[in-house]
Amino acid sequence: MSPPSQATGSPYLHADAVSVSYGATRVLDRVSLTVARGELVALLGSSGCGKTTLLRAIAGFVTPTEGRIVVDGRDITRLPPEARGTAMMFQSYALWPHMNVAANIGYGLRMRGRPRDEIAKRVGEMLRLLQLDGYGERSIAALSGGQKQRVALGRALAVDPSVLLLDEPMSNLDYRVRLELRHELRALQQRVGITAVYVTHDREEALTLADRIAVIDAGRIAQLGTPDEVFHRPVSPFVAGFMGADNAIDVVHAGDGWSWPAGGAGTRARAHFRADRARLAPPGTDAGRGTLAIDGAVVQRVYLGTQYRYRVHAGADDFWVDDPERRDEGAAVRVLVPPDALLVFPAAA
Amino acid sequence: MRSRPWAGLALAAPALALVAIFFVGPLMMSAVLAFRGKDGGFTTEHFAKAFELYSTDLLFSAVIVVVSTAAIGAVAIAIAGYLTLGEHPRTQAILRWLYRWPLFIPFIVTAQVMRTFLAKNGMLNHVLIGGGLIDPLQAQSLLDWRGIVIAFVWKQAPFVTLLLAGAMAAIDRQHIEAARNLGAGRLRVLFGIVLPQSRRTLLVGLVLSFVTMLSVLSVPMMINPNSPTMLTVDIAYRINSHGDYAVANALCLMSLVLASFGAWFYLREAARKVERT
Repeated sequence: MSPPSQATGSPYLHADAVSVSYGATRVLDRVSLTVARGELVALLGSSGCGKTTLLRAIAGFVTPTEGRIVVDGRDITRLPPEARGTAMMFQSYALWPHMNVAANIGYGLRMRGRPRDEIAKRVGEMLRLLQLDGYGERSIAALSGGQKQRVALGRALAVDPSVLLLDEPMSNLDYRVRLELRHELRALQQRVGITAVYVTHDREEALTLADRIAVIDAGRIAQLGTPDEVFHRPVSPFVAGFMGADNAIDVVHAGDGWSWPAGGAGTRARAHFRADRARLAPPGTDAGRGTLAIDGAVVQRVYLGTQYRYRVHAGADDFWVDDPERRDEGAAVRVLVPPDALLVFPAAA
Repeated sequence: MRSRPWAGLALAAPALALVAIFFVGPLMMSAVLAFRGKDGGFTTEHFAKAFELYSTDLLFSAVIVVVSTAAIGAVAIAIAGYLTLGEHPRTQAILRWLYRWPLFIPFIVTAQVMRTFLAKNGMLNHVLIGGGLIDPLQAQSLLDWRGIVIAFVWKQAPFVTLLLAGAMAAIDRQHIEAARNLGAGRLRVLFGIVLPQSRRTLLVGLVLSFVTMLSVLSVPMMINPNSPTMLTVDIAYRINSHGDYAVANALCLMSLVLASFGAWFYLREAARKVERT
């Protein structure tokens, strides 16, 4: 097993201007990504954006039409999957039902021709690491979803891979199990010090797990940065929307702040904000200096447990705003958005 | 809701009656006649005669079908494996199109094709001589046990391949990718991952082929009718030339015993699967 290490900053995995096409459709368009040794980078995006294709290109299941992929100085672009030294954890786990837990975990070592006692020792280590002691002889069919996930992780880690590739490994789990395993996975990755690329469409998962996040949109990296950067300083309306700031409204900068509606003189822009950063107030409430005020009416109320989420219709737009106070549908309200909650982008041409 | 057990039986009755009248009845009659002497009493003389005359052919039949079954399995695994794990889509498409042809060719036509292909002056030897691979004096006829095996494999391998390729295609693709990702080459993926997950289908195909080959008359009759030959030829001979239904029935029961080995093998595997689950 590799000694625990921290991300060093030197590129260990380098995808250099990688393009992938399926027929006439370009799925990845000159994507460049570097991952430092011991770092976990999340590829975040919606379905069909190309994030899994990038992962599969690194694993060798997809051949790039352009660009190259380098791991630890070795160009692996044209190598077959079995010669790359990477290990992938699949969305379906892809555990082989005709083998028991120990045989699944030890498979990669058998393929490397390791002696039987060494394989048994390593499998034992993995079972202990993943809290699966005593499960070695179990059939795969007898495992729960969480246990299968651990076995799949153990199988990938057992070969001490150069890069661990994880393709939405938690998407098939219950919410509670997912939360628990998310933290376990992060702790394990840091303890083992393995370099990892993690594909997910779950924003929260990416923020919790990753050292850096690459938000992918239509085959390109829309933003690459730390979770804090991507969450608080999105570089585009798409990233802002994907990171939860999906309320968007046209505003104009006049006087001492942004105002709505954007009909008056001044600099026009498109502002995004999160539902939980705005609040509702009675109509006519003084907004205060720099606070954006939007007058509208409640058209829908959703109960979240600790508070309500309201859909507010204002002008031609609808927004979602969280508020603890119960209001009736149809009630006139004023939406107040503090200046530090506004993510402002140039208005579309 | 009231349960009506007779309603279910009534629904199944026509099918059961057909099976009883057209299959179980004649089979029982054949078995009874195999043990009935000229005086109408019980006897084993027909079996003794069958063994005396045709024990070599019994062994020959068993060897032919076992060897053919093994060869069919090997060919089916090779073709289905390539269709599942190959990396050249065009070659796969051509192979997928080609391998099914023998499925639509009757056994009698297969036998005739093999006669012209495997004879001493047949097409195979012409190609080998023309290609400089053998001298004309080395040319030999393959119209013996080898011809029967080749004909059976040519005819039955596509059937097993069809079943096996379907089963392999149904395996989650990620199972294959996971193995390759962990360092397995395609051959190891085939034998370590794909085949174990589709072996039941392979087994069903092989058992069905085994039983089918035991019942084929045209191929041994046209390729190798002389002794030793297969039991089907002997059965036809006893009936057509001697009107000897008693010995023919004894030979049929011997064929049935051979066929039931295939059924036993299949049922044993099915029982193991039930135990595992």
